[in-house]
Amino acid sequence: MRIAQDSNPIRSEFADDPDMADIVALFVSELPKRIASMQEALCSGDIPQLRILAHQLKGAAGGYGFPKLGEAAALIDLGIKEGCDENVVRSRLGMLAAFAARIRP
Amino acid sequence: MTVSQGPLPRLLAIDDSELIHRLLRVRLQHEPLEIHGSMDAREGLELARRMVPDVILLDIEMRGMDGFQVLQALKDDVNLQDIPVIFISATASMEDRVRAIDHGAIDFVAKPFEVVELKARVRSALRIHQMVKMLAQKAQVDGLTGLWNRTYFDRRLHQEVSEAVRHGRSVSLVMCDVDGFKRLNDECGHPFGDAVLERVARILQGGRSSDIACRYGGEEFGIILPNTMGTEAMDVAERYRVAIEAESWPGPAGRVITASFGVSDLSLLAGPQGSEDLIASADAALYRAKMNGRNRIEVAPLARPAG
Repeated sequence: MRIAQDSNPIRSEFADDPDMADIVALFVSELPKRIASMQEALCSGDIPQLRILAHQLKGAAGGYGFPKLGEAAALIDLGIKEGCDENVVRSRLGMLAAFAARIRP
Repeated sequence: MTVSQGPLPRLLAIDDSELIHRLLRVRLQHEPLEIHGSMDAREGLELARRMVPDVILLDIEMRGMDGFQVLQALKDDVNLQDIPVIFISATASMEDRVRAIDHGAIDFVAKPFEVVELKARVRSALRIHQMVKMLAQKAQVDGLTGLWNRTYFDRRLHQEVSEAVRHGRSVSLVMCDVDGFKRLNDECGHPFGDAVLERVARILQGGRSSDIACRYGGEEFGIILPNTMGTEAMDVAERYRVAIEAESWPGPAGRVITASFGVSDLSLLAGPQGSEDLIASADAALYRAKMNGRNRIEVAPLARPAG
C-alpha cells in the first residue's frame, strides 16, 4: 500500500551553493547504500546498528540540505529509543526509504 | 576583523559520522582554522594529546566511549583541560545540554547545525580560550622583573621534584638574595632598587635554557635546575655571582652590588624529600652565605641530622 502519492523529486536546499555541490552529490549517491545498510540491520535484528545509522542520518541530513530526510530518520531513532514494536520501526524505515528514493542532488 | 599573526588555530572534530566530517571540512573551509578530525573517541583523545588543539567539537553518541567520557578524560589531563569543548549532538535533550555545560563544555550546538551559528560559536570559544591563556600567563609572571612569580615557582618546583623522584633524577635549587638591598633602597631610593632587581633578574634569566628563574619575593630569587646535580648547580650559581658582581651601575663610580647564594640538591638530602625541604635547605644555605660574609655560595649539607 502506498500512502504518499507525492513522487516529485526532492532537491537539496543547498543545490545552488557551489561549495556544497561535491559533497551533496556524494551524499545523494551514497544514500541508497546507507538505506540498504539500515534495512540489512533491521532484517538481521541488529537494532543497535540500525539506531546508530538512523542517528547519524538524523544529525547530518539537514546539513546537506535535506531536513525532511533527517526528520524521517529521527522517527526511527526515537522509535528504537522508546522501545516501539519492530513493525512500527519497519514502517518508519519504509517511509524513510520511500522519501530517500525521491532525492536528487 | 584583524588578521591574526602566527599559525592558524586548530580545530579537532571528534564524531563517528563521516557525513559530519565532510560537512565540517566544507562549511569551515573559509574560516581561519586548521581542521582535524577523528571518527573514533579513543583515537580522537589520543590525537588531542598529540596535537593539543585550540578548540574541540565533540559528538555525544559514539560507540565504545561517549562524548561525556571523552570530556572527562580531557578535563583530567592538565595539558588539555583548558581547551574549549563544544558539544555537537543530534540528541539535544535538556538533560544532556545541562550535563555537558556542568561538566565543563563551553557550548552546545544541536545537529543539524546552522552553519553561521556554528562558525560564531567556534569563534567565540577561540576568543575565550585566547583570553584564558593570556590571563593564565599573566597570573604567573612577576610584574617588575618579568620572571616567573612565586605562585609559578611553588607549583613548578613541586612538579619538578615529583618528576625527579619518579624518574630517579636529580633536581637542584639555587636561592639568591641581593646583598644589603634594604640599605641600597634607603640610600638610593626605590626606583634604583627596582632597577637593581630588574638587572639581576635579567642576569638570572640569561643562564642555561633549562633553568627556571623565578622571583621568590622581595629581593630574593629562586632558580630551579631540573636534571642538575649539586656540583653543577654550584657552577651555575658561581657564574651568576660573578656576573652580578661585575655589573656596572649608575651613581658613584666603582659601585659594586653583590648577591649571596644557597644551593641544594634534592638527591643529597636525607630520606624522601618534598619541595618544601628543598626550599628550607637552600634557604638555610643562603643564610649561612650571609653569615659567612655575603657575596658567596653555600651548599646544603649532604644529609640532615636524624630527628
